[in-house]
Amino acid sequence: MPDVTLIIDGQTVTVPAGTNIVDAARATEVAIPVFCYHPKLKPVGMCRMCLVEVWTPQIDQATRQPVLNPDGTPKLVMMMGKLQPGCVTPVAAGMVVKTVTDKVQFAQRGQLEFLLSSHPLDCPVCDKGGECPLQNLTMQFGPSTSRYDYQDKVHFEKPIPLGDTIYLDRERCILCSRCVRFQDDIAGDPVLGFDSRGRSWEIISKSDPPFDSKFSGNTTDICPVGALTSSDFRFKARVWEVRPVPVVCTHCPVGCNITLDMRHDRLMRVMPRENDFVNEIWNCDKGRFGMRHVDDAARLTTPLIRRGEQLVPATWDEALRVAAQGLMRVRSTAGATALAGMISADASNEDFALFHHVMRDTLGTPHLDHRPGGPADVALETASARFGVASGTNLLNLGQGALVLLVGADPEEEAPLYVLRLRGIVARGGQLITANAYPTKLDGSATRVVRVAPGREAALLQAMVAVVLEGSAPMSARARGIDRLRTSLKGASVGSLAAAAGVDPAVVRALAEQFVGARHAIIMLGRTGLAQGSAASDAAGALAAVTGAFGRTGSGIIALAPGGNARGAQDLGIVPGEGGLAAAHYWPAIMRGEIKGLLVAGHDPAALGAASASALDALDFLVVQDAFLSDTARRADVVLPCAMLPERDGTFTNAERRVQRSRQARQAPDGQRAHWQILQGIAAALGNDPGYGISSDVTDAIAARVATYAGARYTSLGVTAGNWGRQANESVYYDGTSYANTEGVGIQLPTAAEGDGLPPVVASLTPLTDAIVPGIQAVLVPRAYDGRDWARGSKLAPRMVPPHVIIGAADAGALGIGIGEPVVLASACGSITLPAQIDRGLAAGTVLIVDVAGIPAADLCDGVVTSVTIARGEP
Amino acid sequence: MLGAIFKGLRTTLGYLFRKPVTVEYPEVKRPVRERFRGRHQLKRFANGMERCIGCSLCAAACPSDAILVVPAANDPARPNSPGERYAATYEINMLRCIFCGYCEDACPTNAIVLEHQYEISFYDRTSSIFTKEMLLVAADRGHGEIPPVLAQLDRRPSPPAQIDL
Repeated sequence: MPDVTLIIDGQTVTVPAGTNIVDAARATEVAIPVFCYHPKLKPVGMCRMCLVEVWTPQIDQATRQPVLNPDGTPKLVMMMGKLQPGCVTPVAAGMVVKTVTDKVQFAQRGQLEFLLSSHPLDCPVCDKGGECPLQNLTMQFGPSTSRYDYQDKVHFEKPIPLGDTIYLDRERCILCSRCVRFQDDIAGDPVLGFDSRGRSWEIISKSDPPFDSKFSGNTTDICPVGALTSSDFRFKARVWEVRPVPVVCTHCPVGCNITLDMRHDRLMRVMPRENDFVNEIWNCDKGRFGMRHVDDAARLTTPLIRRGEQLVPATWDEALRVAAQGLMRVRSTAGATALAGMISADASNEDFALFHHVMRDTLGTPHLDHRPGGPADVALETASARFGVASGTNLLNLGQGALVLLVGADPEEEAPLYVLRLRGIVARGGQLITANAYPTKLDGSATRVVRVAPGREAALLQAMVAVVLEGSAPMSARARGIDRLRTSLKGASVGSLAAAAGVDPAVVRALAEQFVGARHAIIMLGRTGLAQGSAASDAAGALAAVTGAFGRTGSGIIALAPGGNARGAQDLGIVPGEGGLAAAHYWPAIMRGEIKGLLVAGHDPAALGAASASALDALDFLVVQDAFLSDTARRADVVLPCAMLPERDGTFTNAERRVQRSRQARQAPDGQRAHWQILQGIAAALGNDPGYGISSDVTDAIAARVATYAGARYTSLGVTAGNWGRQANESVYYDGTSYANTEGVGIQLPTAAEGDGLPPVVASLTPLTDAIVPGIQAVLVPRAYDGRDWARGSKLAPRMVPPHVIIGAADAGALGIGIGEPVVLASACGSITLPAQIDRGLAAGTVLIVDVAGIPAADLCDGVVTSVTIARGEP
Repeated sequence: MLGAIFKGLRTTLGYLFRKPVTVEYPEVKRPVRERFRGRHQLKRFANGMERCIGCSLCAAACPSDAILVVPAANDPARPNSPGERYAATYEINMLRCIFCGYCEDACPTNAIVLEHQYEISFYDRTSSIFTKEMLLVAADRGHGEIPPVLAQLDRRPSPPAQIDL
């Protein structure tokens, strides 16, 4: 768009056409006070706080030329003859805006006096007090006294819960509709609305359960008054008393930047920290309200060692020595291959480095894994390291001409913040295609929805590759191995692959055409897609390779492997080595007596099902590093209590390969140690102490050892960039919204396709043309609110998904199953009984089993998609 | 020289017949000025509710960081203070306090008042932490009665303490 030059308070400024006056003023550090306007939301002009004088050149009606003053300058007239709201008035050439005239100040004073006429003035007890735009603007622009009678204020009952996490105080609400607009436009959960009118005009929740959104906490941030406050932070502390510590959330692969607001050594609240590359200024409820487990009373405090049937407290020295001796004993009696290790994908890169040091370098076992060892384990994939989104990619900058293909993914449940990012791309004119076996919430925002047969996402991608290969267009020369790829797909036609995917070939062709035509193309693979072996990621890599959608900014693959740092785990070699087994294969190997010693850090395999639980019982020696006494820890010979996110420093790599630093907010309350410190202790007891002092020593060692991490040192991770247009006096207007990013936005690791490296090699594919198996397929679907350890003490506890199975209306009707009635699911692995939920959108032949705490999924499923039979259970 | 000695002794003898200025502390307490700032008290409303709403503004105003307030939500059935919020913990470290009275100025409900009690010595450092139980006046008292020291002298308390009188 052409730029427009105008004058704001005597300063000449040039901004793109279409910019509103408030944003144009922000560019010159002139601040126009606002309540309803927010730079991330569409303007509505409801609060009238941004009234300014707007002067435009007068146009002669007859000649259509500007009227000139005698001195030759254009004659200016006040727009409409009165003050204009800056947020809904677009800039125009030659415009002169005045924001500090008597007329404007009179309007501002009057507006604030009016807003305060029904405000309870209970700032001393209000959680927003101290970071409240209404307080700030009243101090700066408002009258010092009011002409309204204090006794005349309207009072409502307060507070009323708007949901489990949000309280509404109607007396404080100034009806700016920021919360309503956030839910409608950004979150895509239109659960809030206005009710009634006049003095009784109020915000209500329209959903059941109330405020049914995974982004509800953000409304408390953007609320310019204390009308919406969180039940989690209610009366915990005043905002000026807290010490915000920059941390990276590890609940999902997004890697949101958050701050932990600490008062002394207690966590008071979690707030988003802006990072335009990751989470903008938002944060999901799981990250915001799901951090209370760090102060849970059930946390392990001391190391425990087994004496007979009992686990008894021990000193760190003793416990580390026993752990090292036990592992060494297994190694000397049964060999290194009798040892295995698994570490949670939520651990930091430093943890992975030390885990690798102990298990691979010191003990020499090939059995290493970061996956939990259950049926929904994702396959290892290297496609996103080769064809991943290139460095410099920022989904915030994508819009017109961009296309995102979601394959087997449900971001709402796997990586909630991607919902906001992807909806943003659609709002800016981009394309979003969801290809899933079952309906997801993001289908509502997608520009095209493709239903794939369960477990056949890879076939759809292969069919798209085949369509592109059929075309006469020359293939991208930036990838190697395309000829081999062409040969490998020779036996399969587009039609047969599309049939195997359960998709109409015409739809596949249209999809491929759209994909090829997009200026920026991103393939996002979710857990359901990734868990079907490497077929989906290989096919995604092939699609990126043949269309050239890799190695350039804004194109490539994003793989949503579960865990906060699954990418880092793969990069740092926490994967089965030569002859090594994947975690899911540990359990049969233990029963066969091939594995006798196991080190588990952060995982709880005993909860997966009977097979893994009995395998853990059969072990000779088990070391567990965990924060809680899990079912696995109860079976351990040595339990080592680990420090949690606030108590440790470290770096984490997110799904887009951005390495970010998380800081330590407090000392561990009972001397618990970070995984890497525990592992270093074990290494020392094994006689191979690497001798790291602090976390950054390990980070530096990683940078020296792993080529792609060469730039990922604390100094480079701390560079700040890209914020949403903050200005010097910003906090007066957008106080309490999010913390500024002062600790660095991290760095995005380069892909193999960037720099001087050789072009990446595309994997050849095995065509998936076998016919769709008849019968019912059970898909193990992820749920964000899965009720696992993170949910302890959380205000989200009532929202945890109970164990259940979701059945399509047709199947339920055929079997006579009603809502809530027990259903017996049986497969080759076993059977489980679960209460039923009925989904009208779900196709016949597919049932969804929610992957939450309390479902021994491994007792039924042998993969993410399993053939089952269903029957009505005895009530 | 002898004259000078007698002059001095006459002065001494003269004091023998004057009223002594020495106060027999602790039997007799010296009166303090009306705006004297002594030990803090947390006042109550006339209906017995705590005036303190746990807003922490006193702690924010305190130049020596002597005050700790941990707020909590009131149980609507049995509220401690009017409104939604009260101070679950209220502590003043008397070793840190410099008796400047800023807390009194900051208090939006006149809950904290520096009264005329000045005998606040203690034997160990832990006793310097005055808890809410120690600071809060009894439920049946403290709605602005005149402090004993003043009552003894028939004087009125300091102005902020007179709100409820």
